[in-house]
Amino acid sequence: MQQLRLEHISKSFPGVKALDDITLEVKQGEVHAVCGENGAGKSTLMNILSGNLKPDSGTLQLNGKFIQLKNPQDAFAHGISIVHQHLSLADNLSVAENIFANQHPKTSFGLIHYADLYQQTAQVLADLKISIPPTVRVASLSQAQKQMVEIAKALAKKPHVLILDEPTAALTDTEIKVLFNILDDLKRNQVSILYISHRLSEIFKLADRVSILKDGKHQGTFTTENLTKEQLIKYMVGRDLIEVKQNSIKQSTILLEVKNLSGKKFKNISFALHRGEIIGLAGLVGAGRTEIARVLFGADAKLSGEIIKEKNQLHITHPADAIANKIAYVSEDRKQLGLFPEMSIQENMIAASLRSVTRYPLISSAKSSQHAKELSEKLNVVARSLQQKVGQLSGGNQQKVLLGKWLAVKPDVLIVDEPTNGVDVGAKQEIYRILKTLADEGMGIIVISSELPELLSLCQRILVIRKGMLVGELPVADATEENILSLAAH
Amino acid sequence: MNCRWQMQRRKIFYRWLRIDFIYDPKKVSMLSKVLEERIYSLSILLVVVVVTASFIFPATFPTFENFSQILLNLSIDTIVAVGMMMLLISGVFDLSVGSIVAFAGCLTAYLMHFYQLPVPIAVSIGLLASLIIGWINGYLIAYQGINPMIQTLAMMGIVRGCALLVSGSGIQNLPYWFNAIGQSKLLNIQMPVWYMLITIAVFTFLCTKTIFFRRYYYIGGNEKAADLSGIRVKRMKMIAFIFSAGLAGVAGILLSSRLGAALPTMGRGLELRVITAVILGGASLSGGIGKIPGALLGAVFMGLIANIMVISRISGYWQEIILGLILIITLWADKALQKRYVST
Repeated sequence: MQQLRLEHISKSFPGVKALDDITLEVKQGEVHAVCGENGAGKSTLMNILSGNLKPDSGTLQLNGKFIQLKNPQDAFAHGISIVHQHLSLADNLSVAENIFANQHPKTSFGLIHYADLYQQTAQVLADLKISIPPTVRVASLSQAQKQMVEIAKALAKKPHVLILDEPTAALTDTEIKVLFNILDDLKRNQVSILYISHRLSEIFKLADRVSILKDGKHQGTFTTENLTKEQLIKYMVGRDLIEVKQNSIKQSTILLEVKNLSGKKFKNISFALHRGEIIGLAGLVGAGRTEIARVLFGADAKLSGEIIKEKNQLHITHPADAIANKIAYVSEDRKQLGLFPEMSIQENMIAASLRSVTRYPLISSAKSSQHAKELSEKLNVVARSLQQKVGQLSGGNQQKVLLGKWLAVKPDVLIVDEPTNGVDVGAKQEIYRILKTLADEGMGIIVISSELPELLSLCQRILVIRKGMLVGELPVADATEENILSLAAH
Repeated sequence: MNCRWQMQRRKIFYRWLRIDFIYDPKKVSMLSKVLEERIYSLSILLVVVVVTASFIFPATFPTFENFSQILLNLSIDTIVAVGMMMLLISGVFDLSVGSIVAFAGCLTAYLMHFYQLPVPIAVSIGLLASLIIGWINGYLIAYQGINPMIQTLAMMGIVRGCALLVSGSGIQNLPYWFNAIGQSKLLNIQMPVWYMLITIAVFTFLCTKTIFFRRYYYIGGNEKAADLSGIRVKRMKMIAFIFSAGLAGVAGILLSSRLGAALPTMGRGLELRVITAVILGGASLSGGIGKIPGALLGAVFMGLIANIMVISRISGYWQEIILGLILIITLWADKALQKRYVST
């Protein structure tokens, strides 16, 4: 029997037709995946289902009845719950208050019943096998824990239809397993699940059926059993993809040497990076990989140790020093830490290299637009114009702009932190290709990533970090997902 | 069905108002461009206000004397507003500027009157004192992480107290050369107006053309990302407070020169007036946007409204109420129109 049915849904924004006559149905107790590149219209579709946006035309039916969702409260009332890709938690409140936001259990006087609140939260969290005390503040949680709280928040409403938008982007493998078990349970309880993900392997593992969107149009719905990964990708991007080929290890001069580096969250890290080499930092979320990068880049304080670049000892106390020494860091979480969303592509691209676009001491707008144009052509940024606000771009294009900002400083050492988080398959391959080309041109690249296939296909050596310690170094020939994980998780 | 009928009626109504071009997609994009940039929309609004007022009060409003009076009245505010605009672009603000205006004027007057210091030296010391106040504000906010509102609110009281300490109930009989700074004329226009225009021109140039000032837009746009882009955010913020206090110092010295006296009550309420003007001129409390000429336009708009109310003999109580209402309505209409016609 059908549960949720969308008929002829269309939605336009000024200049774009985000959804064009979409008809879908989600059966009771099925996991229905929605696939598509960034900008294909998935998020718009989810926003319509969660009541954040009103469709221009088309109807929604739930169990055969027409429904209208004017706002998120309507969606809750109909038992539709959404886990947003970008977290919607209040950092300043406790886990319990977030999970039961606006629907606290009440005492007989109508006041908040805190004992009940904490007890119910503990129950919800225990069901999800999350070991976080209900009273702890969300601000003190890791990104992965926050994501689990977000999921708990959606489930606390006991939904009939659960929508998950990229839920695994911030999760580690163990947490993903827990999440999948939960989803299996829900499925058995006849909950319909709409699942959006860029990770194709997850879709094949989890989904019963998959609907593919491309440029706002419905490309078709398939049962996953009758679909191969290659076919799926073809429908999503409209072309075949070339897998990036493995590079052999090159012997060349040492570019960067790190000796006994310690920071607040890691100790005694030593490694060397050669010219033209890509090395990977693997480890669980919170193992200290990002912290190592931040200390190398001067964003956090160094406690002890040496950073030597081409035989010069570096004294880096601020990112400006790192940039002066031609070290660049493409941060994770591009919205919070990387981009200026309200500023144009051009302004973002020159942000780290203002000095190079001047006719000293004045900024030359001709030079900046020239600069931005070259970079966006090199990186294949798709946008209406260079004056478009970066916040309006799709994830993949935002990531390319961020990369462009750092290529503009012409670095020798490039550190990229989760370079393909929330980026679609097409753009992912492009980013891999760009990184490979840069290494071939002589740059030394350090990649931090939670996606092991990514590290395996990009890097020549993989360093495994566990709880702030360097626990292993694997040449890519010996590395497999299994042996990296066994070192990282232990 | 019902909905379509409503649309039809609305279209007829708009045609009657001669604003039916909002249904033409090509023109909408022009309209959205105007709405996107506050400097344009405010300029158009200013022209409309000036033309309307000229028709209603043809004898009193559109005269050279009246316009130069309006500009003279807002020159002090505007000089302070330039500094405030810089602060708001970088996402902070300063409530102590009104007190700095009073203190700089009073200290300068005190040194000249009681110690017979030569004008240039007294003026330099007055300016230096305001720079130091700005430095203290900036250091505590940027490096020690004190909330800008709390820090500058406390400083507002402290500095006002200092102004009272040095000047008592006020200092008169200032040297001729000092009074000449603010009371002379060039091309029949009062000097403070020239100083204001020069300040606007210089800072517009600096903020659009130099790397140093361009960085403030990045800081306001995303402070963390700016720091990771190699911008020394703390230092830059501290410098912004020093600049803003310095401009307030200039304004204070100019004001006491214009008045021929230094009063400890000078610049009372100026900080809020200036913040309002700057926000009208396109800045946002969350930072990252705003252009220096917007500070002038915002101040001009408020000055014009005040002037028109005086000409039309509205009582003082009503003036405050009407000014407040106009501000809310202007910003609200701007938001509503943007929501409708500007793609986000």
